[in-house]
Amino acid sequence: MSNFTKKQVADLVKGSLDWDTLHMMLSMPKDKERYANYMSVLQDQVSWDDKIIMAFGPHLFLAETSADKSLVTKCSCGHDFGDYRTNWKLNALVYVRDDEEKMSQVYPTLMAPDTSWQVYREYYCPSCGVMHDIEAPTPWYPVIHDFQPDIPALFDWLDLPVPVNA
Amino acid sequence: MNQLMNPVEVLGIDAGGTMTDTFFVRADGEFVVGKAQSNVNESQAVLESSTDALAHWDRKVEDVFPEMVTCVFSGTAMLNRVVGRKGLRTGLIVSKGFEDFHRMGRAIQSYLGYAFEDRIHLNTHRYDDPLVDIKDTRGVTERVDSKGNVVIAVRLHEAREAARELIEQGCQAIVISLLSSYLYEDHEKAVRDACKEVAREMGVDIPVFASVDYYPVRKESHRTNTTILEAYAAEPSRATLGTISDSMKDVGGQFDLRVMASHGGTISWKAKELARSLVSGPIGGVIGAKYLGEKLGYENIACSDIGGTSFDMALITKNNFAIHKDGDMARLVLSLPLVAMDTIGAGAGSFVRIDPHANAIKLGPDSAGYRVGTCWPEGGVDTVSVTDCHIILGYLNPDNFLGGILELDVDRARREIKRQIADPLGLSIEDAAAGVIELLDLSLRQHLRAMITGKGYSPTDFVCFSYGGGGPVHAYGYTKGLGFKETIVPAWAAGFSAFGCATADFEYRYDKSVDIGITEESSRDDICAATTTLQNAWDELRNKVLEEFRINGFKDEEVTLTPGYSMQYLGQLNDLEIDSPLGSVTGVEDWDHLVESFNETYARVYADAARSPELGYGITGAIMRGTVETKKPNIPEEAKVGPNPSAEARQGTRPFYYEKSWVEADIFKMELLQPGNEIKGPAVIESDATTYVVPPGFETFLDENRLFHLIECD
Repeated sequence: MSNFTKKQVADLVKGSLDWDTLHMMLSMPKDKERYANYMSVLQDQVSWDDKIIMAFGPHLFLAETSADKSLVTKCSCGHDFGDYRTNWKLNALVYVRDDEEKMSQVYPTLMAPDTSWQVYREYYCPSCGVMHDIEAPTPWYPVIHDFQPDIPALFDWLDLPVPVNA
Repeated sequence: MNQLMNPVEVLGIDAGGTMTDTFFVRADGEFVVGKAQSNVNESQAVLESSTDALAHWDRKVEDVFPEMVTCVFSGTAMLNRVVGRKGLRTGLIVSKGFEDFHRMGRAIQSYLGYAFEDRIHLNTHRYDDPLVDIKDTRGVTERVDSKGNVVIAVRLHEAREAARELIEQGCQAIVISLLSSYLYEDHEKAVRDACKEVAREMGVDIPVFASVDYYPVRKESHRTNTTILEAYAAEPSRATLGTISDSMKDVGGQFDLRVMASHGGTISWKAKELARSLVSGPIGGVIGAKYLGEKLGYENIACSDIGGTSFDMALITKNNFAIHKDGDMARLVLSLPLVAMDTIGAGAGSFVRIDPHANAIKLGPDSAGYRVGTCWPEGGVDTVSVTDCHIILGYLNPDNFLGGILELDVDRARREIKRQIADPLGLSIEDAAAGVIELLDLSLRQHLRAMITGKGYSPTDFVCFSYGGGGPVHAYGYTKGLGFKETIVPAWAAGFSAFGCATADFEYRYDKSVDIGITEESSRDDICAATTTLQNAWDELRNKVLEEFRINGFKDEEVTLTPGYSMQYLGQLNDLEIDSPLGSVTGVEDWDHLVESFNETYARVYADAARSPELGYGITGAIMRGTVETKKPNIPEEAKVGPNPSAEARQGTRPFYYEKSWVEADIFKMELLQPGNEIKGPAVIESDATTYVVPPGFETFLDENRLFHLIECD
């Protein structure tokens, strides 16, 4: 098992890690310190103190609040999307591209889907406006709950104490 | 002995990434091995290494070089230039619409050379930068179909425009590779001439390479890569080799410097097709084993070479090695004939880790290389390597590692093995280290067995040659229980590749793809046309071979030409390469000879019952090899002295861990052992460059040719 430094993990997150190291990371089992290093790199990127437990996206995290240890979905700006078991998208701003004109803003003519079959739903942070996700379902489809992590199982693998509210 | 009576005749050079080895052989077969650190100035490293070697005979470079008759070079500089993408900026002209195929590398280049796990996982696939950037690639409108018919005539004005742009952009060479050009060469040649004309008009002198002039074979990616290498890497290497040749002339050398090539022969550094010297190191050992086998009467040999990073295996059957027609090297598919070898990425310096999921020892795939392991603190390695395990178990002598040039810290190695391997597995340090070595031996043994049985042979028909710096350490381990006729360790195991290079023939080999298919329904005319096609291809290749020899001042009549062909039963995927029973062919009777020869070979390689003449016969390639006699090293021959090693050869004893207990192993100095000496394990035979381990249950003797024979006792 190889050990990687926090700097290497930070480069991985930034996308600037050299291929040889990246190849080694991909090919070998994860080192024990990886989770702690990864979380600490993410923590350095945000200005708030709630403890990051997992990344959902480049700007979206699962965090344990310092106030009451509840597990919430949070934007990098600090916006709180509520309990991680409910779909954070329900508390986001949404923009739906559901006609030809809106599609033509992002795709050349004739290269976008027919909006009676497929629409794009873009989800934004109500506080800072960063785009967190886009889904491309049929128009009638409910808002998709991407995934709900099994936190106790994760911490069991990591061999770390499970957060109290998981 | 008188020096004049006994001149130094042969020099083999193996210029590796870290060390430059030289191997000098005297007329009586005595040899010396020299080592020097490889550095930027290759000719200097060669001279330093030579000085080091000749010091053993108290002789000077200036005295010895004038009396030498032959010198063969093999090195990794060209390979490094390719891997590091530091070649000549080259422009590429292809058929219009096919500008992207070069960087797509048949998709296979995204995982070539990777470990098995990394081949099957898409996320580890990755394309290296292409040799030629897409910005330096141009398409020219033309098309030849798969039968060689012109579908669209070539638009030469586009070729001229392309050449002008490429030269203006700063390309220092132009390569042309058009679709199906091996079937119809006029388009490529016309484009080539147009490019040369444009360069002349622009007043620049740059080389232009058309693939048909070099590698007229099918498979565009292979052919294009190889032709690009001629421009990109071989031209700069030619300059380096020229410098080495000059520096040898400066000290009185009067021989022609030759280079080891991937097809197993040596070629001049002036050769037109120099790209075939891209990979040569491990091949030297196979050539050397074949030569020794011929001299000493071993016709079936399993070659095994362990270096720090890899284990290379090859089979010699009936004094012949197999050739891969398009071997891949440096993660590129190439049209270069390559001595067939199997390589696994486990060697004497492989890293050892614990797989946390399986809780088991895992070897490699990476290795410490010249940084040795945790036992050498200056090397900066924190992960345990196989060498660390050898050091603490008494296999290697920490005070005489590489002749004592490195100071090793055994305690540090013990601490790291304890922390990284032994404690997590709940084993003692010794058992953990022994487990590592057992695992490596087991894995090497399985690969060796698989290579032999996979081809339908049995180890009992083979003699195993074990060489390379790590070969003699592991020979007992990877041959144990396989049932080889004999296991042989040459006393010069560490310099065996350099020795092998020196035994290689001066040989050029050229290939051309042909498409011939003859079934029971074929008419006499069809067969006559087929033989004409083959003969025309041979004539073309013969001219190329003779031309190469003329560059080195050989007359046509001095060259021995061997035509060959690749034949298959129609519809099968693999073909067999066969030396032609006839010097030239015309008509039906000659065709029958070719077929007969193929059927015989097929039965030998596979089985009688596997022959399928009902399918008809296809010839896929014509081959022409030309050779010229060269001076080869004599094999040492000394009189047998007696079974007991001399007192000077004995170096005391050392604790040695084997099969769960410590024993006292006798230590011997390899150079002081004499023919006839017999040694019973546990024993360790040391020389500067390698260590030969004879564990309990094994014995060994040194024969008249300075070959150790390792014998497993019952």
